Amino acid sequence: MVQISTNEFKAGIKIKVDGQPYTIISNEFVKPGKGQSFNRVRIKHLVSARVVDKTFKSGDKADVADVVEMKMRMLYKEAEGVVFMDEISFEQIKIPFEKIGDTAQWLLDDKEYDVVFYEGQPVTVEPPTFIEMVITECSPGVRGDTASGRVLKPAIVESGTTIQVPIFVEQGEKIKIDTRTGEYVSRVS
Amino acid sequence: MNRIAILQDRASMLAKTRTFFASRKILEVDCPLITSKASVDAHIDLIPVLEPDGSKRWLHSSPEYGMKRLLSEGIGDIYQLAHVFRQGEYGVKHNPEFMMAEWYRLGIPFAAMIDETIEYIRLFLGNLPYNLISYRQAFIDYAGFDYVGMSEKDLLDYIKEKDIAFYPSIENEGKDALLNLILGVLIEPRLGENSLCALAYYPASQAALAQRCLRDREETAERFEVYYKGIELANGYHELADAEEQGNRLVEANEHRIALGKDPLPIDEHFLEALKTGLPDACGVAVGFDRLMMLRHNVSAIKDVMPFNWEQA
Repeated sequence: MVQISTNEFKAGIKIKVDGQPYTIISNEFVKPGKGQSFNRVRIKHLVSARVVDKTFKSGDKADVADVVEMKMRMLYKEAEGVVFMDEISFEQIKIPFEKIGDTAQWLLDDKEYDVVFYEGQPVTVEPPTFIEMVITECSPGVRGDTASGRVLKPAIVESGTTIQVPIFVEQGEKIKIDTRTGEYVSRVS
Repeated sequence: MNRIAILQDRASMLAKTRTFFASRKILEVDCPLITSKASVDAHIDLIPVLEPDGSKRWLHSSPEYGMKRLLSEGIGDIYQLAHVFRQGEYGVKHNPEFMMAEWYRLGIPFAAMIDETIEYIRLFLGNLPYNLISYRQAFIDYAGFDYVGMSEKDLLDYIKEKDIAFYPSIENEGKDALLNLILGVLIEPRLGENSLCALAYYPASQAALAQRCLRDREETAERFEVYYKGIELANGYHELADAEEQGNRLVEANEHRIALGKDPLPIDEHFLEALKTGLPDACGVAVGFDRLMMLRHNVSAIKDVMPFNWEQA
């Protein structure tokens, strides 16, 4: 197991704390006067995204978490999970829905996703930041709605998710969505 | 302000530092940076220098021992402006190699030493007001308790109750380690919010090289630090002159190091010898020059005020 010391803790590095994988958000070296120095480290759980503050004695070490991120193409959904393929080895894996979580709303056949493995097991699936999808269902935009201040309307996209789009966008059009916020970005011509 | 302009200002502040001391008839000295023996401190780790024959020397963590040897020879008031080295002290506000202005004044009271330190700091930061708070009062004001009479368990309960994250081994490192954590997390960030703040009269157990004194029925040390905007700028003492007590403290510091799993450091007998011949009554202070430059230029990272930091060096 590779270990790193507190002075190598940097934002983005993944370490194992209490057996769990965390990403370092920040690391502050504190040394009051001539006292023992310590590092106040803010870490985010790789799966639950829960943020925790930890204090390490300076110079102490932590295990580097065995985390690998891999681009994988989604092949198809099954009842109990989603099948992805590693495009280099062509190896296929099935990831259960509970590991996919909220990303399920952005799943489309044949698109690439970042699959995160912790100690060899898939733990999360990240969608691309921007994803393009076709609107499968929405009411037509009505002229005059803008006057009442209502500039957005709900639309269902091909993954089945409902998002808010401007009223001028029509069913059958392809749009770009920011998956971090779930917001409409633009039309795609 | 761009990088070059900051470095130009750095040069000008180095020059002003020398003028500040010259105008007070304080003599510049340049004690060696590499020494055969070491400053022994439980929590200051040194960077060794390896000689080709396998022998070891040390980059100094402060010119203190050398300067005190000169004081005992009768040199009078002195200062040294030099880089010092502390292994592993690396962070946004720390660099293992940094510039220190350290000076000693013979026969002046502890309070006058604090005043002169404040005057030096004002060269960089302007005419800021300053207040003095005792270490004990800072805990009362900012943490809400008086540690005198509290046990280690009381302090640990407080840390848990306040949900302060702590490292597990702290439970066996004594009262000072617990106070240190609380100081670093809850108190330091609030010292010197609007004015310079001298934190003084540390518990006697944290005396380091300072004289002890009894204050409000607490054994304290005539030691102070100066803070501004939560950043530590200076550490000063009414200097301990008793060679025997100093020898004991160095031995204790080494025992503390061993208990923390560190190597003990060789005790500087030249230094103890000098104290035996007689150190005049003196106060001394060390000020972090780079920290002053950070505050002067309102930058949060120490690397922004030095030519090259540890990673770039």
